[in-house]
Amino acid sequence: MEYMEHIVLVFISIVLINNLVFTKFLGCCPYLGVSGRLDMAFGMGLAVTFVTTLAGTLTWLIDHLFLLGTALEVTRYVCFILVIAGAVQLVEMYLRKFFPTLYEAFGIFLPLITTNCVILGLCLFLNLWQVNDILMAVVLSFGAGIGFTMAICIMAGIRENLALADVPECLQGAPITLITAGLLTLAFMGFAGMIK
Amino acid sequence: MADKQLTVGSTFTAGIWSENPVLRLLLGMCPTLAVTTGVKAALTMGLSVIFVLICSNLVVSLMRNLLKPHLRIMMFTLTIATFVTIADLFLKAYLPDMSAKLGPYIPLIIVNCIIICRAESCASKNGPWISVIDGLAYGIGFTVVLCVLASIREILSTGKIFETVQVMPGGFVPWAGMAMPVGAFVTLGLMLGLVNLVTKKKA
Amino acid sequence: MSSKIALFFRESWLLMISSVFFGGLLAITNTAWAPKIAQNEINKFNNLARLLLPTAEKFEPLQEKITLELKGGKSVMDFGGGKSIEADVRKGLDASGNCVGWAFVCEGSGFADKIKLVVAADAQFKTLLGFGVLNSNETPGFGDKINIKDGFYQAQFKGIPAASLTLSKFGDDKKIDSEIIAITGATVTSQSVLNILNQFVEPIHKQLTENNLIHP
Repeated sequence: MEYMEHIVLVFISIVLINNLVFTKFLGCCPYLGVSGRLDMAFGMGLAVTFVTTLAGTLTWLIDHLFLLGTALEVTRYVCFILVIAGAVQLVEMYLRKFFPTLYEAFGIFLPLITTNCVILGLCLFLNLWQVNDILMAVVLSFGAGIGFTMAICIMAGIRENLALADVPECLQGAPITLITAGLLTLAFMGFAGMIK
Repeated sequence: MADKQLTVGSTFTAGIWSENPVLRLLLGMCPTLAVTTGVKAALTMGLSVIFVLICSNLVVSLMRNLLKPHLRIMMFTLTIATFVTIADLFLKAYLPDMSAKLGPYIPLIIVNCIIICRAESCASKNGPWISVIDGLAYGIGFTVVLCVLASIREILSTGKIFETVQVMPGGFVPWAGMAMPVGAFVTLGLMLGLVNLVTKKKA
Repeated sequence: MSSKIALFFRESWLLMISSVFFGGLLAITNTAWAPKIAQNEINKFNNLARLLLPTAEKFEPLQEKITLELKGGKSVMDFGGGKSIEADVRKGLDASGNCVGWAFVCEGSGFADKIKLVVAADAQFKTLLGFGVLNSNETPGFGDKINIKDGFYQAQFKGIPAASLTLSKFGDDKKIDSEIIAITGATVTSQSVLNILNQFVEPIHKQLTENNLIHP
């Protein structure tokens, strides 16, 4: 029971309190780049969630089965990025062949995802936080994806309304998006320290 | 880009100003925002990126004719990850303090879009010499923006620069907010706005 | 079948060759720098520990194993709950080889990330001589004040009894006792440091006594 409680708290904590976008600046490129429209943002979020869950679990397994405590630890980054790039390509091929509708929905985002820092960042944090439990690794990876989806959807929602606002000419586009993002992180700081 | 004759001068102006990776192309946001709490950290980050960018551009350019289209991204990431690991080991060995401070943001250079973007749009089409110059130019463009942003944030959040030299007068109350994520986003947003204003006036 | 294998090699030979090449490159750099990296870690520990135990000439790792069970918190970077780990305890020796105190590494979750501390105690393990920060990533301007050498927060730990500590928001920070005054605006970080100390100090003391390592 206590274990279940821990898992739920870890999930809430990675989504709201330690949200990788707001506290660690991970995934800022798509967060600022693909957040123009809500439906696009949601598609990107789902694709990222899917790949992080897969990549997080796989890299955790590789880390614990082969790398930890051996001389191979030096190749950690290379292994991680190859797993991510490979996973992305596999997912892309698999979706195109078996789920064409799903592929059309978020297939276009898949090639972009290889260079999304949320995914590599999460894999590295799983190692830094010394997660030693596979279920926890899966929950964290999934939670990180959900957290990213939430962040990018909030941003897209705001930006859709921002299009109607009267923004000074030189701040239109990227600058006002960045300032909005800054205010959002300020709002999310309210969650900090909620779980000790 | 590819059919235009590239010269050293044009590459440099493109990398540092007209196609500046951070200010114009909005690439590499993650390190730009995360490591700019201090000038020292920003400079270390910038130099590491320059090193990785030059090496990966050189290697990619040397094997550009051998690349298979569907394994291209795989090769790029493999090359980049190797050089990032070398940079990481170097920092751990010779600048342990900086390495501890930058933490996971050094390995995250691997997924810095600037590097893969230059590999894709310049190194895989041009010879080694121009690719190295290109890497240097874009790397410097990135480093300069990082340092400017970091000095603004460091001066306003601590009143000092390089952690030791006092810049602000004695009665200055540090803005802790500048060191927090919000400071990074808002300062960069205003910087972009300023750049837009300047370019508009020129045009 | 053989044509498939041929195709496979034709498509991926570059990937394979470069993997071997890059692997070799990494192996060379790693062998060249690994000793220096290990030495850096030891130096960092020694430098921090020497500030706390100025009379110590060198720090010697213990032969005996000191293990302790972590309670673990509920935060996202705290996965130690119920896990038993081996504590890194070192004996501080002066020039003539007498034990002048103990230094050990403690870690646990802070506000933003893990906090790793070096803590020193006197030879009898009666009083703590303070702590130094090996690694932390707390909020600049608030939580990272635990990092200021001999700042108001660190100074409160010099000479306190090696027993359970409590946090208080008001009080006299000059008074040296087991009540620690929190940093304004960084209560969570201040509490984290106490939690880390409380989790490590007592079990280490107990096991050092059990192994007859503390000579009165």
